[in-house]
Amino acid sequence: MPRIVRRPGLVLAIGFAAVLAAAIAPAGLNHGPIPAASWGIWVSVLAFSLATFRGSGIPARQALRRLVWLLPLIALLTLPAALLAAPGGRLAVGFGLAARALAATGAGAALAAWLGPQGFLEATRQLKVPDRLVHVLAAALGSLVVVAHQVRAMLRAREARRPGYGPWASILASPRQTARGFGRLSAALLLRSLERAEALDRARRARGIGEP
Amino acid sequence: MHIPDGFLSAPVATTTWVLAGAGIAAALRAEKRDPAPVPAGILGSLAAFVFAAQMVNIPVAPGTSGHLVGATLAAMLVGPWRAMIAMTAVLAIQAVFFQDGGLTAFGANLLDMGVAGSFVGFSVAALVARAVRGLRGYAVGAVVGAFAATLTGAVLTSLWLSLSGLYPLRGILPLMLTTHSAIGLLEAGLTGSILATVLRWRPDLVAGPTGAGNLRRPTAITIGLTGLALLIAAFLAPFASRLPDGLERTAADLGFSGRAAPLLPAALEGSALFSGRLAPFVPVLAGLVGTLLVSALAWAAARGLSRTSDASHR
Repeated sequence: MPRIVRRPGLVLAIGFAAVLAAAIAPAGLNHGPIPAASWGIWVSVLAFSLATFRGSGIPARQALRRLVWLLPLIALLTLPAALLAAPGGRLAVGFGLAARALAATGAGAALAAWLGPQGFLEATRQLKVPDRLVHVLAAALGSLVVVAHQVRAMLRAREARRPGYGPWASILASPRQTARGFGRLSAALLLRSLERAEALDRARRARGIGEP
Repeated sequence: MHIPDGFLSAPVATTTWVLAGAGIAAALRAEKRDPAPVPAGILGSLAAFVFAAQMVNIPVAPGTSGHLVGATLAAMLVGPWRAMIAMTAVLAIQAVFFQDGGLTAFGANLLDMGVAGSFVGFSVAALVARAVRGLRGYAVGAVVGAFAATLTGAVLTSLWLSLSGLYPLRGILPLMLTTHSAIGLLEAGLTGSILATVLRWRPDLVAGPTGAGNLRRPTAITIGLTGLALLIAAFLAPFASRLPDGLERTAADLGFSGRAAPLLPAALEGSALFSGRLAPFVPVLAGLVGTLLVSALAWAAARGLSRTSDASHR
């Protein structure tokens, strides 16, 4: 049973403000020390995010695991910037950037956990996002589960036909064949998705329901 | 290519959000005027497909993996404006629910993948499709367009990260272009492969560069090509060689280079505006202004010529 969020528009606005505050706090890139206020913002936002995760029924361990898988990407962008920083400030820049990215990303993840897909769509409506965009977002979110199931089923079928030979396992060994295989698989997925959407649209029109 | 939260400065994040917002508004307006509407369910399904395809990372080179961006493919299927709307949905869902790309970096990511992917890819594909006729032209155009769109996205990403003070542009741009050349080849191969299959089984689903769903095609192509020209002018001008070109070299060798004099005085040269902290941006500004002026002149000339041509046929 999905949780009903009161005033999702306000929640989205507050969550976005938290992400923004964490994301733009100075991280010592201008050859200066990181202000204490920045550390204060990052720690507060992280604590707020963990509390939000807990409030939305997600245990702290699972929430932390969600953040940990982002670390490689954060490290990939942080390390070169730290190496290019002025000597003596490299460690501070590295830590500052990583803390900033983690706090902002954590706030975003907590916001998504709190709102859920339905709450997010309702929030976009309350924030006066154009109807057409909201409808496309709703349709995309609705189709995602079906498409993900289809992808899994198609990959299973492929694996059953040729065990140990994934569609992109050997891109370096035989790029042309692999790209063609992936292309066919993706094209089949695309055609099924579009045909399903066309069928749904026809059914809606047959019932006299107009274009949203 | 998704920039996460925390890596863009406030001015860059704000500017990219504003530009992306203007792009979305233009796309929604252009789509509203289209007499052949596409149901939201179809665009949503397309977005879901692009999302699923982006989840699959494929190893391209040692230490580098890539995934299908899908914007050029979407533009070939439903036109560039609608592709942009679909890409907006994809990137919004990725940023909000999967933290793949940040909320504050949403504008930058949309410009890199949605706008550049749709418009640059579509424009290049349209040009190629004019040279290579038929369905084959669509597929070849999509391949070339997807490659161009990937490189444009890489240039834009480098620019945002550089303007945010993370890395110098001279350092990051060659690195990004090198890695994204491999990723671009993959994107091109996959786009061509998927489009070829769709063209074989359901050619009616592909609007293509000359399809009925692209009544705003000239506008889209113009915007895409002007954007591409501005990108080249802005980002490649600072890397232009300081060495003399062939004519200057000949003039120097023959000893009359000193007799050259400018036709118009450089009014702003040496002024306070172009010195100090603004100095590194002078070539970028000059490139942008020059390209805009040339575009405006070309547009005025084309408009004048077409009117003359229309009048002569009456």
